[in-house]
Amino acid sequence: MTRPQSADGADATASAGPLQEADDLTELQAIVRRVVGARVGTHPAAEDLVQETLTRVLAAAPSVDPGLLEPYAIVTAKNLVASMWRDDARKRRNQHRAADLRVPESPEAQALLGEERSAMASALGRLDEHERALLIEHELRGTDTRTIAEEEGTTPGAVAARLSRSRARLRVEYVLGLESGDPPTDRCRPVLLALSAADRRRQRELDAATHLFSCDFCGRLSEPLLARGQRQDGVLRIPVAADPDIVKARGSARELAGRLGFSRTDLTVLATAVSELCRNIVRFAGSGELLVELLDEPRPGVRVTARDRGPGIADLEAAMRDGVSTYGGLGLGLPGVRRLMDEFAISSEQGAGTTVTITIWGKDPST
Amino acid sequence: MSILRQGSTLIASVHTALDDSELERFRTDLVAQIGEHRSRGVIIDVAALDVIDSFAALTLRTIAEMARLRGARTVIVGIQPEVAFTMVRLGMGTGSIPTALDLEEGLALLTGGVDDGRRRP
Ligand SMILES: [Zn+2]
Repeated sequence: MTRPQSADGADATASAGPLQEADDLTELQAIVRRVVGARVGTHPAAEDLVQETLTRVLAAAPSVDPGLLEPYAIVTAKNLVASMWRDDARKRRNQHRAADLRVPESPEAQALLGEERSAMASALGRLDEHERALLIEHELRGTDTRTIAEEEGTTPGAVAARLSRSRARLRVEYVLGLESGDPPTDRCRPVLLALSAADRRRQRELDAATHLFSCDFCGRLSEPLLARGQRQDGVLRIPVAADPDIVKARGSARELAGRLGFSRTDLTVLATAVSELCRNIVRFAGSGELLVELLDEPRPGVRVTARDRGPGIADLEAAMRDGVSTYGGLGLGLPGVRRLMDEFAISSEQGAGTTVTITIWGKDPST
Repeated sequence: MSILRQGSTLIASVHTALDDSELERFRTDLVAQIGEHRSRGVIIDVAALDVIDSFAALTLRTIAEMARLRGARTVIVGIQPEVAFTMVRLGMGTGSIPTALDLEEGLALLTGGVDDGRRRP
């Protein structure tokens, strides 16, 4: 591995502020990189593991003794590597079934320390001064939220909330910094931020799901952001391309919704609707994607967005009409899905694809 | 899935969720066996299915129709209540196929029907 001689020199003479502060984080990254490198070598996912570790360390920093941050980082890196090998073995076994499960080849797999460092520096540089100072004070100097709150004349809760927003922004800016080129739309950055912050209300305001489907840039970048908080937090993206995916998708949706304490009937209704939408994708578009989101306002619910880039539906009105003649496996089953769900929306453009969004709200179990 | 023969009746049990191609294979296998054994009755046990969507419902109806053309009656047993509820709302009932609570009830239903069919002048 060669390293351009100029990298260090160029960095050292660049603007001092954010770079200085980035050094502390870069030091942590260097440790993590050594741990990961020793275990996975030049595996294409090495870079992702480093980044993932760092983010987890940052996220966990409030509950970790500052003096233990380094060991914490090392343990986190080791655990992540171990779980990646497990996942990898599973993926290899499943590779014949779903090519999509493979770890994407990263052309930047062997990113130089300098690049990483400048990505973190520019990420910190893009935060406003307040956010940056707060992160540095708390994450690196180890000042607790109560002390910061006292100094600023506010509450620890408010500080914690600001910290979590700042961390979310740092993650987004870091991921953007590793990417060459700016986001293609004005909406990208706010969407990524809402995902990173696991802010579901903001995601709905921005219609993040729809944006993710149409924006390849965000689709790619959101993966590491989603993998962190969101997947456990109630968002699932499921590729749909073949018959077995239909069964798998409805099972996953049911499992996710099960966390809301839905009744068996609601779970069955949801799984059935998902099954119908997935079948339409496989039959009429070949492949597509499903996004399953847990909603918490105004009450527990599940929203499923099924999207494909297939031929589209020529006559939407006809497709939504209940017709006995369309049974026989030829119908789209959309009227039935609409009857099953509390909310139903469809848009389709010929030659561009179809998006169906359905929502089911939890019923009061006492009724 | 498994298909057992009991006298002139075939008992087909689905043990796990089936995808569309598996459902098609199930249909093909079952219809072939109905012909092979000259069965007069078919029981399909779907208690293990947590989803019966439009394609699964259509498959069941197709099997029943093909069985009828070969002189066999079909009974579907074990549809879970929430599955039945969903099928109705989806607009995909079991059509004219009789259903029964469980295997025993299904057999009883079938025996009566089959006996009737056998009583020829
Ligand atoms: Zn975007």
